[in-house]
Amino acid sequence: MANTAPALKKTFLAGLWDENPVLRLLLGMCPTLAVTAAVKPALTMGLSVIFVLTCSNIVVSLMRHLLKPHLRILMFTLTIATFVTIADLFLKAFQPEMSDQLGPYIPLIIVNCIIICRAEACASKNGLVVSIVDALGMGLGFTLTLCVLAGVRELLATGKVFEIPVLWDGFLPWAAMGMPVGAFITLGLLLAGVNAIAQKEN
Amino acid sequence: MSKVKYFFEQSWLLLVSSIFFGGLLALTNAAWQPRIQQNEIEKFNRLAGAMLREADSFLSLDEPVEIASGKPRPYTVEVKRGVDAGGRTVGWAFLCQGSGFSDKIKLVVAVDGSFETLAGFGVLSSNETPGFGDKITIAGGFFQRQFVGAPAAALDLVKSGEAEAIDDEIVAISGATVSSQAVVTILNTYVVPIQEELKKRGLIE
Repeated sequence: MANTAPALKKTFLAGLWDENPVLRLLLGMCPTLAVTAAVKPALTMGLSVIFVLTCSNIVVSLMRHLLKPHLRILMFTLTIATFVTIADLFLKAFQPEMSDQLGPYIPLIIVNCIIICRAEACASKNGLVVSIVDALGMGLGFTLTLCVLAGVRELLATGKVFEIPVLWDGFLPWAAMGMPVGAFITLGLLLAGVNAIAQKEN
Repeated sequence: MSKVKYFFEQSWLLLVSSIFFGGLLALTNAAWQPRIQQNEIEKFNRLAGAMLREADSFLSLDEPVEIASGKPRPYTVEVKRGVDAGGRTVGWAFLCQGSGFSDKIKLVVAVDGSFETLAGFGVLSSNETPGFGDKITIAGGFFQRQFVGAPAAALDLVKSGEAEAIDDEIVAISGATVSSQAVVTILNTYVVPIQEELKKRGLIE
């Protein structure tokens, strides 16, 4: 990938729409379904993924000329696991309630396909700037998607968004939207909408 | 010799990275671990303090209590004595854990000063099903209320019954029998063995 401003802009925007990891590549489904019952945990998960993705892309990009082909996945996993552990410790230290709420899903970022996919597809083949821009674009695309899903689910499940009441007093909450079935239905409808838009674009 | 050289040629980056990342994690852990431990102590004290309102502070016993786990290694439990401003024992609290429906459940259990009745339990962490199993986490909810004043003895779980009656029968949460059973099993695993151990040590009668 070229290191020019238009090329970087294209790389960044690809993560938001054309190659959105959740809506177009269908990667990272586990946290997408599991932590989107409310916006706060979804945003925390998204920010954690941005941190891990950016740091791992930087390290992988810097060591790309030294990587042995048969050891590269091992190196990616080692790098990703390190930054995931740092993110997990940070949340435990400074956001303990959120850490409890997210439970095992922060440590599970280690096996999130988005991160290893970007290390393999982008960072191991490109320079530092492109890798950082790619990580930010992909991370932001992932975070925005999670927040949209979580916003819809939290609104319908509790009548609130970001824990702030937004619907009328007599609103009857749809408990199912806060449960796994709500995650599948919302994601399915969102994917259908995105596919419809993409088909029109094509 | 050539094999050793080949090994290092292939793996030097992995070895150097492992040392570097290990050092980075050690530094991060050293920097934040005191804060993490403090958070855990605060949460424990908050949950235990809500159940033992007379307790001014919680003091650890000199030696942790070991109880049978059904595995080769016993569970090691740090039992804390709740004391009031005058130093009088007003209750006992300890952390215990077991398997829930989808993940491990960690509970803070509080018992009165004579270790005869439960003061209740609070959930330190769990990942039970939202809307069903996670009702075990509702402080003051019908499920948790059944444990306040219940005997510090073996408890039974029943699917239907009088939830307001405070006795050794715990009525399960509808649609969450596994989570309800998990809580009862955790308490049964810990409470009586800890009671016996404290009696052996002469800390209770």
